Amino acid sequence: MNRIVIVPGSRKGLGHYLCNYFLEEGDIVYGCSRRESTIAHPNYIHFCLDVADEIAVINMVRQIYKNHKHIDVLVNNAGSASMNHFLLTPYSTAQKMINTNFMGTFLMCREVCRYMIKQRNGRIVNYSTVAVPLNLKGELVYSSSKAAIEQLTKVLAAEIGECGVTVNAIGPTPVLTDLIRNVPETKINELIQNQSIKRLGEFEDVLNVVKFFIAPESEFITGQIIYLGGVN
Amino acid sequence: MTKKEIESIVISVVRDYCINNDVNADIDSYTPLIGENRVLDSMGLVNVIVDIETALMEENIEVSLTSEAAMSSRISPFRTVNALCNFIEGQLQPEENE
Repeated sequence: MNRIVIVPGSRKGLGHYLCNYFLEEGDIVYGCSRRESTIAHPNYIHFCLDVADEIAVINMVRQIYKNHKHIDVLVNNAGSASMNHFLLTPYSTAQKMINTNFMGTFLMCREVCRYMIKQRNGRIVNYSTVAVPLNLKGELVYSSSKAAIEQLTKVLAAEIGECGVTVNAIGPTPVLTDLIRNVPETKINELIQNQSIKRLGEFEDVLNVVKFFIAPESEFITGQIIYLGGVN
Repeated sequence: MTKKEIESIVISVVRDYCINNDVNADIDSYTPLIGENRVLDSMGLVNVIVDIETALMEENIEVSLTSEAAMSSRISPFRTVNALCNFIEGQLQPEENE
């Protein structure tokens, strides 16, 4: 399709999967992660950076705009998780999670938005989690950072609604990725029992919502959060 | 880039914005961008900032008009066309002196 797509956190898991999907669709995909790329494709360009590094994000997005003079889609996939009781959460862990999840999303949105506003068109998809509406114990900082992303999504959508740019968020259930690698199976099973549809999420479930949000027909859908698995 | 060239870009961008948004105003160095008698509303300011940044980028000049320096300045650099040109010139100087 030749869209210009940005997928932060593209090295593994969902981000890696989404990049491959967009590449198969014929899009030009820009990914980033702190470590080297795991994708080798002529239409894939990788930046090694921390999404919470303001200057690095500014330079990356500026370079993409310089190369193509437009940016069509941003899927804010980068994120980190750490499950622990509130009282056992080190300050540094909390700060790191807020930086990667919220500040990373904030920076990517801010830098991409300036060009999307200019071109009067664009699609942004952010990531929340079902841990927000479920108020899950042991996920205070993670779900707080994602709740902040939900608020960012809604307010940003309102601020730029007239500019042809939509901003939405998906709230996945647990999907088998590194993000939940250290969560005990019993905890995951407990969480799944809160869902209307009691199973783990699949990459395809996330992709389905991403495709819906970025479709040209979804130009009237903005500021929305869609949770998977029947959680609300 | 000279102050005159910066001014030419800024005036051109603000003028285009005003024409496209039915704002009837003569744009010169003294035109207030924000505050009393302003020609831009808040979204207008956002649009103009982005357009100026990208116009400068076309000239291979990279500046951020939403930097900490711009936003935390005691006197806003966006108050008039001339103030904005001065701010941009100030942002360019360290780079040009390197």
